[in-house]
Amino acid sequence: MIEVLSPGFLSIIVDRGRQGHGHIGVPSSRELDRHASAIARYLVDIPEDAALLEVMGNDLRLRVLRDMSFAVTGAKVKATLDDEPLRPWAAVRAKEGSILRVAEVLEGLRYYIAFSGIIDVEPVMGSSTTNLECNFGGFHGRPLMKGDMVALRDIREPAGLQTVPETMIPSMREPHLVRVIAGPEADNFVPRSVRFLANRKETVLFNATSRLNRTGIRLEGEPLRFRDEAERSIISEGLLPGTIQVPPDGYPIITLAERTIGGYARLATVADADMDMLAQIRPRDRVVLSSIDINEAERLWRAGRDALSFYCKKQ
Amino acid sequence: MDIERFGEQGIRIIFGQAIDDATHESVRRFFLYTSSLRIPGITEIIPSFRSCLISYDRERVGFEDLSELLGEMEDDWREMSLPDVRRMEIPVRYGGDYGPDMDFVCSYSGLSPEDVVEIHAGATYRVYALGFMPGFPYLGPLDRRIYVPRQETPVLKVPQGSVGIAQLQTGIYPFESPAGWRVIGRTMVRLFDHLNPPFSLLNFGDIVRFVRA
Repeated sequence: MIEVLSPGFLSIIVDRGRQGHGHIGVPSSRELDRHASAIARYLVDIPEDAALLEVMGNDLRLRVLRDMSFAVTGAKVKATLDDEPLRPWAAVRAKEGSILRVAEVLEGLRYYIAFSGIIDVEPVMGSSTTNLECNFGGFHGRPLMKGDMVALRDIREPAGLQTVPETMIPSMREPHLVRVIAGPEADNFVPRSVRFLANRKETVLFNATSRLNRTGIRLEGEPLRFRDEAERSIISEGLLPGTIQVPPDGYPIITLAERTIGGYARLATVADADMDMLAQIRPRDRVVLSSIDINEAERLWRAGRDALSFYCKKQ
Repeated sequence: MDIERFGEQGIRIIFGQAIDDATHESVRRFFLYTSSLRIPGITEIIPSFRSCLISYDRERVGFEDLSELLGEMEDDWREMSLPDVRRMEIPVRYGGDYGPDMDFVCSYSGLSPEDVVEIHAGATYRVYALGFMPGFPYLGPLDRRIYVPRQETPVLKVPQGSVGIAQLQTGIYPFESPAGWRVIGRTMVRLFDHLNPPFSLLNFGDIVRFVRA
């Protein structure tokens, strides 16, 4: 059992997401930083589809009501266990009654906490993740609040290595370089306005706005210009996490994990290798877009996957 | 039928350029056929007005193999016999507190509330897609006489069951949510229930009629 003493800004239960219900509009609502989540699970030795906490904000406090281990990954944070500084990206042993505190987020936005047991919530449509907009899944379909008791079962001592090398800890520092592949409506824009899509050496700089959540990240900067003859919106069609849509105002929106359909021009798709970083973009961070081709994107993905699989063997 | 790659793990299957019955029927055939096969590696099939977006797990299947397979199946789904469409009636209370944008629709169209209701409830609509939120149906085509533009700034909250119109579409908000469409009424029918399969009241391809309640 975990008792929530202070939930930070937003704490939710997540997992790898809901799958196979896209035709009725159900989004995946998955953990946004899959790399940080996978390593957190590895460190505490729980299955790769187990649920964990995704947290934003300072002053998270949890009381651990049983002996267990946990790991904090993702955003760079200042964390303590019973007032002693603790090492993030490592398994940490906690005694019954200990208090885990994340006092401050230093870099990045979302951190993940996995426990060496299974978070005991009722799966909804095959997943324990939280759909915040529709209030289902996770902990009664809502963020954790002060006083909540989160049940854990099958608590055990993690086996195996309980740290990962520094090379597995990504930098969260801005500016964030986001590599993209051109999307279906890339031709709806004035070529000069989207030069970065045609030329690898070109980049374009945007800033993340405060309109940023699990649905998407709205960017601002020099607005992208539509060709005069191009439609400003499209006949609504499917989206994937990472699809960059551009509404008529020209300011791109990077789609995250809560939409299956959209009606704005799809300029590009974020390379899978850069998707996890999107979880860590804060309001006002600089976001640099550059383009790569699909083969390069696949190569980057494979390299990341191989590095992760070396440290995170399937249980 | 065109097959296009979309990102690293997506395939768009495009059946037409416009919103019309022939295109919709192709999407429906393809969607029903492909879903029934449960092809290993396919994780989602999202049908919409003129296409299906397929996402797949590249650890299990590659783009080349999957697109070839989908291409080869075309004769099969074009020939398959389709199940009858389901017809659903949705009771709606129009106007007043239930339809805060009725006045706007009337002034934009020059029609009386009575005419707007008559036109909206007098037609049948197809479910061309489900999305935006779980169970939200994109219904069309809407009668041109009650065409209205979307809200310029979405309204922060409309209640569950709100019935909206925008451009040549109408839809129903299954949850309290922000809304970009003009709300003319509300239904008490529950469109999405996460606890009870098949979860969504409406399916892709259903035919819907609104009735005055």
